Amino acid sequence: MPGVIAILCRCCGQIEPEVDLQALRERIGREAGVVSVEVLDSLCLPEDGAAIVQAVESSGADRILLAACSPYGKAGDVVSALCARGIDRSRVRLIDIREGCAWIHRGDRTGATAKACDLLCMGLGFLQYGGCSTDAVVAVRPECLVAGAGSAGLAAAVSIARAGFQVHLVERAAEGGGMLRLISRVYPTDVEAAEKLRPYLEEVERNPRIVFHPKTRVVSATGFAGDFKVRLASATGDVNVRVGAVILATGAGVWLPRGLYRYGELKEVLTLMELERRQREGKTAAKRSVFIQCAGARCPERPYCATMCCPSSIKNAVLFRKADPDAEVTILHRDIMTPGHILERYYRSALDAGVRFIRFDPAQPPVVSGDGHVEHVEVFDAISGVKREIETDQVILSTPLVANTDNAKLAELFHVPLDGYGFFREDYPLHPLETRQGGIFICGSARWPVSSTEAATQGEGAAMKALAILGREKLSARSMSRLPEGKLGHARIEDSSCSGCGNCVAVCPYEACTLQRMGGAFVSRANKMRCRACGSCTAVCPNGTVQMPEHNARAVGAMIRRAFAEGDAG
Amino acid sequence: MNAQEIVDKTTRGTPRVLVFACRWCALVGADAAGRGKADLPASFRVIPVECAAMVEPDSVLRAYAGGADGVAVLGCHLGGCRFNDANHVALKRMEALGDLLDTVGIGRRRLLLSFGTAHEGRQFAEVLGTFFRELTPLPSLEGWRKTLLNQPSFR
Amino acid sequence: MTPEIPRDNPRQGKADALPVLVEGGGAAGITACLDLAAAGRRVHLVESTAVLGGQVLRLDKIYPTDHCAFCPLWTDIRRLKEAPGIIVHLLSRVVSLEASAEGSLATIVTKPPFIAPERCISCGKCAEACSPEAALPLGEHIYPPSFHIDEGLCNRCGCCAGVCPTAAIDLDRKEERQTLKIGKAIRATGFREAELSPLPEFGYGLHPDIMTSLEFEAWTAEAGQNGGRIVCKSGGGRPANIAFIQCSGARDDRLLPWCSAVCCMHAIKQASWVKRRDPGIDCWIFYTDLRTVGRDYYAYSLRATERAGVRLVRGRPGLVHPLPGGDGIAVKFEDTMTQKREIRRFDMVVLNGNLRPAVGDGYPADGAAQDNACGFAVEPADVAQSACQGSSAALKIMIGGEEGPCRA
Repeated sequence: MPGVIAILCRCCGQIEPEVDLQALRERIGREAGVVSVEVLDSLCLPEDGAAIVQAVESSGADRILLAACSPYGKAGDVVSALCARGIDRSRVRLIDIREGCAWIHRGDRTGATAKACDLLCMGLGFLQYGGCSTDAVVAVRPECLVAGAGSAGLAAAVSIARAGFQVHLVERAAEGGGMLRLISRVYPTDVEAAEKLRPYLEEVERNPRIVFHPKTRVVSATGFAGDFKVRLASATGDVNVRVGAVILATGAGVWLPRGLYRYGELKEVLTLMELERRQREGKTAAKRSVFIQCAGARCPERPYCATMCCPSSIKNAVLFRKADPDAEVTILHRDIMTPGHILERYYRSALDAGVRFIRFDPAQPPVVSGDGHVEHVEVFDAISGVKREIETDQVILSTPLVANTDNAKLAELFHVPLDGYGFFREDYPLHPLETRQGGIFICGSARWPVSSTEAATQGEGAAMKALAILGREKLSARSMSRLPEGKLGHARIEDSSCSGCGNCVAVCPYEACTLQRMGGAFVSRANKMRCRACGSCTAVCPNGTVQMPEHNARAVGAMIRRAFAEGDAG
Repeated sequence: MNAQEIVDKTTRGTPRVLVFACRWCALVGADAAGRGKADLPASFRVIPVECAAMVEPDSVLRAYAGGADGVAVLGCHLGGCRFNDANHVALKRMEALGDLLDTVGIGRRRLLLSFGTAHEGRQFAEVLGTFFRELTPLPSLEGWRKTLLNQPSFR
Repeated sequence: MTPEIPRDNPRQGKADALPVLVEGGGAAGITACLDLAAAGRRVHLVESTAVLGGQVLRLDKIYPTDHCAFCPLWTDIRRLKEAPGIIVHLLSRVVSLEASAEGSLATIVTKPPFIAPERCISCGKCAEACSPEAALPLGEHIYPPSFHIDEGLCNRCGCCAGVCPTAAIDLDRKEERQTLKIGKAIRATGFREAELSPLPEFGYGLHPDIMTSLEFEAWTAEAGQNGGRIVCKSGGGRPANIAFIQCSGARDDRLLPWCSAVCCMHAIKQASWVKRRDPGIDCWIFYTDLRTVGRDYYAYSLRATERAGVRLVRGRPGLVHPLPGGDGIAVKFEDTMTQKREIRRFDMVVLNGNLRPAVGDGYPADGAAQDNACGFAVEPADVAQSACQGSSAALKIMIGGEEGPCRA
């Protein structure tokens, strides 16, 4: 049984009116295993650190039970300071007897003192039976995999290469560029897409740290942050790479609005992408054109706004007007989605350029008609309250980007979740580029439709996240937790008692448990780097085989047993 | 109802509640209740867990056996779990446990699940206060405990 | 704890050893700090207020997940606190930044708080002793946990210092100046609200229940003074209806010509939370373009309108004015989709749109890119975008300041 020192904080007199610290001191001093009890005026002031260390060292205890204020306040800092001196966090237990006891049970000193005694005994039980998991440390491969060479992937790859690390840039097409290869000019600057891509593509070519794998797909992936083993397949053969981090930048897909607004039935009803191709091929624009926004977006089948359709239509509309001041250009819309400063100004420039905007109610969508070739569009102008018939030579449907069909496969390979629309889902608010799996990041339209500028920003951001891993010789499992200060080690499985039922494999949110053959049977193994110590596995294990050492069943049982011990006496 | 009123209402004292609180939203709410100097009966104890999904049905039953009149499992609100919706798993598990509790005569009313409502101090106090009120009129579990604990295998 | 061993990076030059200065401790700044620290860089974080968290901390809930705003923040702030390489300067601002060949010299002025956070144990004795009620806790779940004395209200009587058990209070604290040698700087100063006086038609200031959206957020916050209940400021009764007016201030050449990007979703979020807390309150959102561009935003707005019954009216009201006797507020508007004009009585009016960069006059007219600035300081951005931009700004520092590829 380890020796425990109990340090009770008076909190400068804050606790005593409600909790009898003397009684608490006597009570905890009686417990087996407690080698010393100290009552200190305070623990958190700058001058207190030395006193605590002195008390611990002179007591000979190897575990510390603190009774003080809330872990979210100063007491948490005290624990952190102790751990910074090399004491393992599993050997320190903080019991909150202020916010959690004295301050909420005012007027009931007996009850509050009984509770404090119980809480301290529970903490003692936890310390005495709690174990300590060894942290896992892995060597980090100084290479990164970037899947997708569009705006986001190129930015990510170039950034990582410039930071000094090797990048494997995988692209399923024959060349890099992604969606920018398909469009003519980029909004809002109207720079040619090829011009925008050129510096990135040149860098991919000349920077020796970037290994470009065109016409290649990822076909298998195993491993964890620091060491992913990925198999790349192409017509020329398979390549195995080992990387420290993975960035998914596979972009989005194009959707064809078959049957919508007579697309596919009438000539000159095009999608924006088809218009872009014509622009690139240098074809002159039609004299009269009508853009229809939200064609297949913000509808029951695709209830989202795809970000780019409004600015893209505006871009083309203004180009038409600039090329031909007599061009009649109309944009039919439900809302003009140009948030921010730059895009709002872009919208205004379209108004200044003579583009006509007509708002329609989604309940009364425009009607496109013609005989073989599109001839007019009928729309109820909701703002003026009149029906308009617009004669036109061309109708351009502003369709949304949809999730890349490759996402599902990659999601399965890398164990990252998708959202309801098929885009990669990030882990948490404020962490938009991180996924559930450590070391795997998402950016660009693979995550959610964004402009090429924003995709490049996200690619750089994902590169930064990857650099946090790549920049280390070694990576510890503990550092993978969202809040490393409190991570309860990781799951440990006793081979001898594991029945191979697979419950833990099924329930783990991080796919950290896998069944492996041992002898003639299956046994579960927990990957320490993937485990985030949530404890889900412990709750579903039928025979208590998998445990979090710091929070094992005996420790929890000790806490439950002691919870109302004092309360019985009172 | 404040501490005094609850004590007055029952002759056997305030119901004892063991609270399993995840150390993210739930414990933060408890902390906020403390800093807001909420008024609560002293008959509950909190066991911090990493995630509500860590709470085993076994632990809940041991809590009743160990003296608790009620058990509360508090987690982050659905959609806010730090461990990829593990709290959904916890919810399902605890609801199934509620069925079991009904079957063995403890009753699901003695098990409180609160996902997300315990993230602010005032709500933590309200949630617990309501639970105390619901537990107060229920008969004691002492009889059940005595029968159970006479079985040597349980301890 | 296993120390993370940084790799010897062949690209790390001498200048890279210098710490990075991050101005602004909001979503973008915190993200940049954490990213830089994780990559082994030292950081000086300069924040003008007494707490970290920026504007997100002032929010009650965030869209589209409906989390409590501080929820994702507090874990990051604690990580920031634990990170060995980050030095936080609160109540500070950068007064000068002089570049030189080997880095920069940054002069920071700090106004230390009367109550030293490292000595405050949050006992509240100062608040009990303070008659002008100048001493108050800094708020829930903030870093640092501490009480704070509002210097404007403080009458320097010194009663608080007399009762403080840890001698944390010193009413004579003076401004401190220090000069730091830094490598590069990131500006992440976020936004502030603009004065609405150039737009008298919105009636701001004429009635207590005509408020800005951030004021409404604080008024109805769960952690606020009303505990999440929706009540009128005047009289304290339950409002029958609330008008949320978008673009009041924004997209308006008289004040802010730009779109503040976050307001449409912010109003939808506020309205849906009003409905959640009190379904009987009639919520109207008056908009021009309902900008629901980001991840899950449109679906969120559908839940608010189709399921919760929030009403949408397309039209910016032309006049908001208290009714005679102060009982209610008249809002005159045209529903541009039906061309019907109406004057309707509302119990509360929430004005949304007047967000501008916190520092400077606004955004550059020519749209020139600003180096090493991120978040709302550069372009109206929501939390997700600010976090991405914070990481991107950090990355640019890591790759040594070489010009990135063309970002037209």
